[in-house]
Amino acid sequence: MRAQTGLAGAVAAAGALGLALLPMAGMPAFYDSFLYLVFFWISLATSWAILSGFAGYFSFGHAAFFGAGMYTTANLAAKHDVPLLATIPLAGLVAAALGVGIGAVVFRLKRLRGELFALLTLAVTFIVATVILNTPIDGGSGVFLSNVPVPKIVASQSGSIYVLGFVLCAATMVIAWWVAHSRLGMGLAAIHDDEDVAETKGVPTFRYKLAALALSAGIAGAVGGVHAVYVGFLTVGDTFGIAVPLYVVLMSVLGGARHWLGPAIGAIAIGTSLYAFTGGDMAMIGRAIVAFVLIVAILVLPDGVVPAVQAWLKRRRGAISTAPVVVAAVPPVPRMAAPDENAPVALTIRDVAKSFGGLQALRGVTLDVRKGEILGLVGPNGSGKTTLINMITGHFPLTSGTIALGDAAIGALPAHRIARLGVARTYQIPRPFAHLSALDNVALSAVFGGAATSIAAARADAGCWLSFAGLGGKAAALPAELNLHERKFLEFARALAAKPKLLLLDEVLSGLNPSEIDRAIELIRGIRAEGTTIVFVEHLMRAVVELSDRVAVLNEGTLLALGAPREIMRDPRVVSVYLGKDHAA
Amino acid sequence: MGNFGRDASRRHVLGGLAGMAAFGTASGGRAAPSGQPVRVGGTLSLTGPLAQTAGIHKIAAEISVEEINARDGFLGRPVEWILLDDQSKPEVCRSLYEKLITVDKVDLIMGPYATSPILAAMGVAQRYGKLFIQNSMGIPRLANYELQIPATPFGSEPNKSYPKVVFDAVAGTKNPPKTVAILTSKFPSAQFMAEGTRDVAKERGLNVLMYLEYEFGARDFGAIAARVKDANPDFLWVGSLGLESNMLLEALKKLDYVPKHHFHLYPAPGPLAMSPDGKNALASTFLEPDEPFLSRPGVKRLADLYKDRATRMNLPYKELDAQAAGMFSQWQILEQGVNGSKSLDDRTIATWLKKNGATTIYNKMRFDGPFNHGDPAQLVKQNQGNNWKVVWPKEFAAPGVSLVSP
Repeated sequence: MRAQTGLAGAVAAAGALGLALLPMAGMPAFYDSFLYLVFFWISLATSWAILSGFAGYFSFGHAAFFGAGMYTTANLAAKHDVPLLATIPLAGLVAAALGVGIGAVVFRLKRLRGELFALLTLAVTFIVATVILNTPIDGGSGVFLSNVPVPKIVASQSGSIYVLGFVLCAATMVIAWWVAHSRLGMGLAAIHDDEDVAETKGVPTFRYKLAALALSAGIAGAVGGVHAVYVGFLTVGDTFGIAVPLYVVLMSVLGGARHWLGPAIGAIAIGTSLYAFTGGDMAMIGRAIVAFVLIVAILVLPDGVVPAVQAWLKRRRGAISTAPVVVAAVPPVPRMAAPDENAPVALTIRDVAKSFGGLQALRGVTLDVRKGEILGLVGPNGSGKTTLINMITGHFPLTSGTIALGDAAIGALPAHRIARLGVARTYQIPRPFAHLSALDNVALSAVFGGAATSIAAARADAGCWLSFAGLGGKAAALPAELNLHERKFLEFARALAAKPKLLLLDEVLSGLNPSEIDRAIELIRGIRAEGTTIVFVEHLMRAVVELSDRVAVLNEGTLLALGAPREIMRDPRVVSVYLGKDHAA
Repeated sequence: MGNFGRDASRRHVLGGLAGMAAFGTASGGRAAPSGQPVRVGGTLSLTGPLAQTAGIHKIAAEISVEEINARDGFLGRPVEWILLDDQSKPEVCRSLYEKLITVDKVDLIMGPYATSPILAAMGVAQRYGKLFIQNSMGIPRLANYELQIPATPFGSEPNKSYPKVVFDAVAGTKNPPKTVAILTSKFPSAQFMAEGTRDVAKERGLNVLMYLEYEFGARDFGAIAARVKDANPDFLWVGSLGLESNMLLEALKKLDYVPKHHFHLYPAPGPLAMSPDGKNALASTFLEPDEPFLSRPGVKRLADLYKDRATRMNLPYKELDAQAAGMFSQWQILEQGVNGSKSLDDRTIATWLKKNGATTIYNKMRFDGPFNHGDPAQLVKQNQGNNWKVVWPKEFAAPGVSLVSP
């Protein structure tokens, strides 16, 4: 495998060197320009995908960053005689700064996701265009660059621009590859699938989105800097039109926006097709044919070319086991004694309240959880159990009260920092990252919630946790290929991979059959045996009584009762809450 | 406009004679051109946002090539026009001119239309030392390439020369304007002319009540119309492109306001002529299919051929207009340059043209001034009875036609 990777790297390096030297081969200038334009579209589409493909923040605003770069170079080079090469990094910096400025505001607002984000980026383009049009940056008369000297990298001007375009394209591909294979890429992929879950798994979502936007915008700006001199005359209409955002979206979608190589494949296909029908007699029909082929390609390959090829290869290799999972028997774990009253407190909850508008979901809950304890958290539907879990994990901000993990106050921390401090949770309805394999779903928790030092180490850990959860044969499977029981155990595995100090289990047993429940109970005991403190939300009383050291009962947002399981089950207030007053009497 | 009627020099007469020969009836008894075709390459924006007007240029170019081949071709050889679609994208335009020159190895190139593609293509022409004839570069100072030949007589400073023509036109009416409002699209060539108009208006002592720029592609003119109504100028000058004038006039009509004198720079000729709101509108032109232009050698034939072809192609405006005339002019200049210089060498042709000028559909043209421009010949036309009629300068007005004053 390593030899194959090395060979691929050597081939890529040789190919890159060959492409870099191509202008010296003396080919007609048209090919320099044609290939430059292909590089241009590869760079732009790939840079778009770093935010919009990887993180799923669909942007129509790429023209704003590209245009900011174009006008930076145009103004510096044409009006202030700054050497062209010096303007290109500045163009990238200006565009990146613009991206960071926008992201710093927009990414703080949860409601600005999906189509609202797309519309907002479109609006940003109009605003940037309006500012440039109505200031001396352009002023409406356009900026003329034909007299700006192009550095003589090779003999011809077209060859020199080719080299600049190639260098940017190569750098873009290296950056995209690096992002895709780094913690950043893994975090962005999680953000794409479920941003809230990503945050609770330890992904610093705000920072990562900002980094992705800065990279995306910065590359687009630098590409714009080179393109300004290629075009020679800038107008706001040409620069900030719909063509750039439309093409980069189309290219990325065609190639596969989530894969680092996908946008490049799409850009090569569409960039080349621009030249497929340039003859005067064929122009209209040719454009229609190209558009039709693209529509068909996108309909047939909705995830794009690269993912389709990957899926085909995966099927060919038979990577996914279609055999039912053999659920490994977990050896019985002896019941451990509950921690005594003097055991240190792992989790302190004081007067925690939460309101959603007029609805008071929690009304001042105070509760201590001892280190190494399994605390059952029960109560009727709507009593505030899941809300309390969400408060502990930082998913919702507190309305009032405090929460501390050990000695550290966590009530005001963002969810990803709470996760990093050692709090992990599962979801009542499993929420795996849909486009990550089972292995990567677990590895992500190890990377962001645990102490894994590298993705490779995290994957090795993840394999162990998958085996522990009985999913060893499903490492390559996507969550959609798992049944409910398997997804529940995947939730376990990824919670455990974070090696949490405190594990919050939200109705993990619902929907499981009796033998699966027995196995899960043994699994939870095994987890506690490792020293993990567990808060266990459950409706299934058999499991609550078997597992819990103490049980806390919530009702209408208040703590109704707290004590040993069998005592709590006999408490008339609890019986009344669950079964009605007649039974409590 | 002071250069109108200037005595032509001897060399211009010679150029004119060559042009007259070129304008003659198609065959003229000559042998058909033969041998290896002379390949002339160029692009038009056949698709994309500029495609609306590509049909005009394409028809005019096709007629031109047919007419040239029906005469003597270039140096006795047939002319082959290689047309590519630049998709209204300057970057594609640039690369296609590189293709034409370095891959297809055409003998000569012909410029595209619209400022951005022209500048993109001109850079390529400059790098390869190619003759570059274009017809719609509205900002002459940007075309500073020595082998660039302008085929439309804007003059070297149309921002100074043309406003004088327009103000002269309205100054001679029974209600000469004392106040003016200037609106313009933020499109480079329109804005360039608007700024010049503002300067000339001030020089002439007119009170410029408002100068307002709107974004190219604007669709909602309600707020602008309200400001115009409030200003109530004697003369409304609009640096419009395409349908912007129609939209502005509709917005003014909704406010029950009819502008007095109103001028439109580059409107879509058909829609504005047919609109009731466009009654008596003034606009820029270089030529209309009317007298005295039809009396110029060959112009009537070209106008008829164009109208016939435009009707068959179902173009929205079927009369010969300034855009089609610009393309006819490009080919006429090239034909006279090649056959006059007896060469296909770009520099030789350009030198001959600069020395001799050419006689085109626009009459005699010189290319020996700044930015290779000669005398300006931009005229004023008016929408009279849903037809455009040249009204100024008077010597170019159709018989019996004069500027209708509000």
